[in-house]
Amino acid sequence: MNGTLAVYQKELATYFRSPIAYFVIAVFLLGTGYFFIYNIFLTGIGTMDQTFQNMGILLITLMPVLTMRLFSGEYSGRTMELLVTLPLKPWQIVLGKYLGAVSILVLMTAATAINLVPLFLYGNPETTTILSGYLGFLLLGMACLAIGQFFSALTQNQIVAALITVPVLLGFWFIGHLQSFQATEFMRALFGYLSFSVQFGDFIRGLVRSEAAIFYLIVSAIALTLNTSYLQWRR
Amino acid sequence: MIALESVSKRYGSKAIIHDVSFSVEKGEIVGFLGPNGAGKTTTMRMIAGFTTASSGRVSVAGYDMATQNDQAARKIGYLPEQPPLYDVLDVSAYLRFVAKAKGVPRASIPGDLDRVIQACKLEAVVKREIYKLSKGYRQRVGLAQALLGKPEVLLLDEPTAGLDPGQIQETREVIRAFGADHAVLLSTHILPEVTLICRRVAIINHGRLLAIDSPAGLQQASEQTNQVSLLVTGPADALREAVLSVDGVKSATVRKDASRGEMVAIDCQVEARDGVEAAIARAVAARWSLHRLERQQPTLENVFLRYINEAGADREAA
Repeated sequence: MNGTLAVYQKELATYFRSPIAYFVIAVFLLGTGYFFIYNIFLTGIGTMDQTFQNMGILLITLMPVLTMRLFSGEYSGRTMELLVTLPLKPWQIVLGKYLGAVSILVLMTAATAINLVPLFLYGNPETTTILSGYLGFLLLGMACLAIGQFFSALTQNQIVAALITVPVLLGFWFIGHLQSFQATEFMRALFGYLSFSVQFGDFIRGLVRSEAAIFYLIVSAIALTLNTSYLQWRR
Repeated sequence: MIALESVSKRYGSKAIIHDVSFSVEKGEIVGFLGPNGAGKTTTMRMIAGFTTASSGRVSVAGYDMATQNDQAARKIGYLPEQPPLYDVLDVSAYLRFVAKAKGVPRASIPGDLDRVIQACKLEAVVKREIYKLSKGYRQRVGLAQALLGKPEVLLLDEPTAGLDPGQIQETREVIRAFGADHAVLLSTHILPEVTLICRRVAIINHGRLLAIDSPAGLQQASEQTNQVSLLVTGPADALREAVLSVDGVKSATVRKDASRGEMVAIDCQVEARDGVEAAIARAVAARWSLHRLERQQPTLENVFLRYINEAGADREAA
């Protein structure tokens, strides 16, 4: 446990000492602020449906920027030799890094709460629906981070890591849109199940389905497991 | 403490390391010599646990690296060729990370940090970000992290590369002090370093271990016949003939580059028995002015180059 904590603290410290994390947080808050203003304050609709959808897409494009350095940076900085020869098990390294990235996600999500202030002051929003939306948002983010971290492990080049992750995440997001083109009921259900946007949609509407939560957690778990196995294979 | 038994490493069908066996005991500093690409770094990586051997057994502090990597990792301090530094962190944060990851008990961490910071003279830069440090300081931070957690085994891949002479001296002292009751494997290009601090030397080339012995042992075992050098005032050709006529002299060459004015420098290859220098001295001093006569001892550099070139010639012949 000490090992995971050590890696976690190092990742957090590294995030805060490099401009990338601040860039991601700033762009995210600016974008989210804009979505709030446009969707809610300008149109006068007091729900966060559209805003959450927009935030979801923003997440897909920003999470890879956060994860790209996680392993690629270790390869190019020649620090992998240290990490692997320390008494750290691969899962400790993977988990420590993952939790570091998730912490940044939680931080920037919490920061969007500032937008809720005028919403609650001047509107009449459904609190539970909004909470459910945020929960779905976090789960979505966690899945994106896990996938991004895995691809970061596959290459030395941070840019390549980000560039591979983005289409993969977009694929997961938009696969739901292909539902209506499917001939069989089974395929429709499958595409719907795999779609990040469809699963997120339920959370946005205030529906907290355990199956949806489990879906995101399973995706994260698979990505993290692949990540760990890959590290072990490399040795 | 470190034991390699018939260790080989293959990448696909290509063998990088062939059947290497040697050991390093506690209290020994063993030097690892070889040209670039000889396999030193690959071998060190196997011992450190970064890669696994394709065949054979690598054990460190009694643990088999193939199966008990994690337990062994606690006993190992490793400084790779490129110090594995996190540039954005400051020295103290970096060392604390390594200490925690090595399993140093939380309460002991400040003390351990102080110990290595003092040993590597990093007091001045403790709070500075690593990307701001000079090469010399970076190397020392790398050494400091290897020393954390009081490992039993120290693996150093070119620890003095890029340091200035003063820093090299200090680093050697740190290593020497550490080697007193630990096992140290030190890979280097710098031959004097080997003679100065290593008890034994292993020479490796093309992935094969060519020799392992104390520096003195290697020099003695060298088949290189001894060389006698003279500085005489006199006509070069006559001098050369006179020297060649002495019993026991195999060859004599006039070295124009070392000849000064009227003084002629001659190098002779002689048989390895006593009395030859005296015979040469008598033959020369009788007719000309002999200024200097000395018998050269084979240096470690010559021994090393000989092994490398012999091995190279064998490979080409084979």
